[in-house]
Amino acid sequence: MLNIVFYFQVHQPYRLRHLNVLDIGSKQSLFDTELNRSVMQKVAQKCYLPTNKLLLELIKQHDGQFKVAFSITGTAIEQFKAYAPEVLDSFKALVDTGSVELIGETYYHSLSFLYDTNEFLDQVSMHRDLMQKEFGYYSTTFRNTELIYQDRLSDLIYEIEGFKTIITEGVDRVLQWRSPLYAYKNYSKDINLLLKYYQLADDIAFRFSNRDWPEFPLTVDKFVNWIDHLTISEDKGRNQFLNLFMDYETFGEHQWAESGIFEFMRHFPAEVLKRSHLGFVTPNQVQEHANYQQESISFPDPVSWADEERDLSAWLENDMQKNAIECLYSLFEKVKTRGDVSLLETARLLSTSDHFYYMCTKYFHDGDVHKYFSPYDSPDQAYIYYITALADLEERLQ
Amino acid sequence: MKILMFTWEFPPLISGGLGMACYGMVKALLKQGVKIDLVLPTKEMVYFPLRIESDADTLPTVFLDPVEHTTFTSIKFKTVSERLDFIGISHRPESYLQLNDVEEFVRQVKKETWHSEYVVADKSELWEEMTAHLVGDEDLMKKVQEFTLRAEKMAQKFEYDLIHAHDWLTYPAGMLAKRISKKPLVVHIHATEFDRAGGPGDERIHKIEHAGMMFADRVVAVSQYTAQMIMSRYRIDTGRIKIVHNAFTVAPDMDSSKLRIFSGPTILFLGRITLQKGPDYYLDVADKVLRIHPDARFIMAGTGDMARKLLRRSASLKLRNRFLFAGFLNRKQVETILRAADIYVLPSVSEPFGIAPLEAMAYGVTSIISKQSGVSEVVNHAFKIDYWDIDLMADTINHLIENPSVCKKIGYEGMLEVNQIQWDEAADAIRKLYASVLAEFIKRY
Repeated sequence: MLNIVFYFQVHQPYRLRHLNVLDIGSKQSLFDTELNRSVMQKVAQKCYLPTNKLLLELIKQHDGQFKVAFSITGTAIEQFKAYAPEVLDSFKALVDTGSVELIGETYYHSLSFLYDTNEFLDQVSMHRDLMQKEFGYYSTTFRNTELIYQDRLSDLIYEIEGFKTIITEGVDRVLQWRSPLYAYKNYSKDINLLLKYYQLADDIAFRFSNRDWPEFPLTVDKFVNWIDHLTISEDKGRNQFLNLFMDYETFGEHQWAESGIFEFMRHFPAEVLKRSHLGFVTPNQVQEHANYQQESISFPDPVSWADEERDLSAWLENDMQKNAIECLYSLFEKVKTRGDVSLLETARLLSTSDHFYYMCTKYFHDGDVHKYFSPYDSPDQAYIYYITALADLEERLQ
Repeated sequence: MKILMFTWEFPPLISGGLGMACYGMVKALLKQGVKIDLVLPTKEMVYFPLRIESDADTLPTVFLDPVEHTTFTSIKFKTVSERLDFIGISHRPESYLQLNDVEEFVRQVKKETWHSEYVVADKSELWEEMTAHLVGDEDLMKKVQEFTLRAEKMAQKFEYDLIHAHDWLTYPAGMLAKRISKKPLVVHIHATEFDRAGGPGDERIHKIEHAGMMFADRVVAVSQYTAQMIMSRYRIDTGRIKIVHNAFTVAPDMDSSKLRIFSGPTILFLGRITLQKGPDYYLDVADKVLRIHPDARFIMAGTGDMARKLLRRSASLKLRNRFLFAGFLNRKQVETILRAADIYVLPSVSEPFGIAPLEAMAYGVTSIISKQSGVSEVVNHAFKIDYWDIDLMADTINHLIENPSVCKKIGYEGMLEVNQIQWDEAADAIRKLYASVLAEFIKRY
């Protein structure tokens, strides 16, 4: 049996205003409310609302056999509430079907795991509380920001009550001869690991509408055939997991409706379920379906799902990124000592990983992706606004 | 006495010291009874007949074409800036002429006119030198070409006693006007290409500068430093050079009260981020000071071709949020940032004069100025340090941070001193220069 595991990441950052040194001390918001509103409303119309509607129909149509998992950040939920409350309602309707799993992560989609363990634990716990409050859902699967993972993460997550599984990227240099199609255990064998099958996931997320791709256009038949082929090598009856992890904005935003992405998704589950050896599960079902001794796998160095390198270089490669993030985490302690709730919230909104992504200077293949996602003219501009914001935050502490 | 004056910058057309200097000078000259027809690189073909002191602020405008002028006078403008917007003076000097406009203009005018008609045997090799180098497709070169072509009409139409041209951008115009009218020409050196480039620079500009200075009847240098430079680099006869230091007129309504943006000591660099201005030395100084005083805040205000490099370097030095980039600031923003600064640093590698420190001092900001600057010849209540002496600059800033009362005292003394450096005196020297040039001229003919 091969189980398809869909997990969609739902996230929107709070983008910064074009701050100038002279704005410091003016007590204005650091964030570009108008831009954030318009992005949220645009993505709601193009992606969240139509895709949620489609998934709801599919779940009902297939009577519980079609399942998906979401991870929704706290900053996304806040902005749903402020700018597009109907989106939050439609996610609630999905969760209410019982066929949707909600995954835990840091509330602010931050890189705190790498810099400040206490802050990381705080943000994870804030997110868990949010899921319970908004959806009445208790998450047992964890994903770290941008699927960043390393052995130490599993130590921290294991310490938090309730988490059984972590999902991350199926990075070749870690897997080596192993296949991402099996459930693994972390290095100390106490938490399940599910690894993204990036070749097929990225066919949908990145290549679906690319006319230069030899396999264009991607049809449901072709894709299900490829999946079928993956089962051939398994002759011992072990259950496989095909982990298709991607940004939810793939649907309608990164891949426009005109590309046929919605039609693809509409017909995909039925084609899969025609075959008795294929099905859908969510990450929290891994334990019940893993009918074998799970091998443990060690990630000594951090990995992520970003860019070809699948490491931290999208956020933490150049000096601007490093200076900015080190400065932020050096301020956290002061902010916490001060005990001002609104300043702490500002610092946390500045911890969202997107701010560092905008400063990326790898202008090559991946740089294009960075540029597409950035609201600023250049990495330098993004950096200037960011350190100006940090100076403002610091002055507010005085 | 009536002067035909060509310049590239004038408030509200300021991009640096040139505009500020011309404004102060023109205003003081008007006060002393000199009449000036001012020509600027405006989009519309206009000039500014300035007769009384207040004209320097209101900029009365005349279209060269009488028909256009009639149309223009029928329009009611509420403010001066509204009127200036109409004739195409932008507050951001980079944008006052669009390349398309220039191309269109150059197409219309026969380019050869400046080669033949007015050139006679006298000094023709200098004329050749200028025209041979006023070439190129760059935006700036095209603007200068257009400005020069336009000067032909101005020079023919107006009545004037003497021509005064500021910096190389207007030397070809000044030379052409002299050719046409046979009136004496004074050229004013605010900066040479050596200062701007911090190295050899653009050969064409050197040649135009050289031709302009040789062609002129008299050369005004803004400092001893600049006079030395043009003697040694351009071989200009010392007898024809006159040094007139720039000044700074404090506006009566200036608000110099302190405004705290940062709780810690605030140190300011204000200028173009180019090699000439020494921004890289400023960054090195910041790095040194921040090791001892991590609560200090260094601001770099301005734009320029070195901005990206410095931004990246400030990040690699891990200066956190203690080294900030303010970008281009308009007049009002400059005033605000000066009110917020405690220490001003001018680390220029080569600064013919440097009017900005005078403004900083007028705001009571303690100033550290490069010894390689003209302004260091005229002020006493400021620290004068070699631009390359990073250690001494850092030590000085540390000392000022550690002794805020000393810093305040020097700032105050500097403010008093700058109030004494008025344009009236400088304008008096310029007016006397005009008179002596005219006397010689009348003797000759």
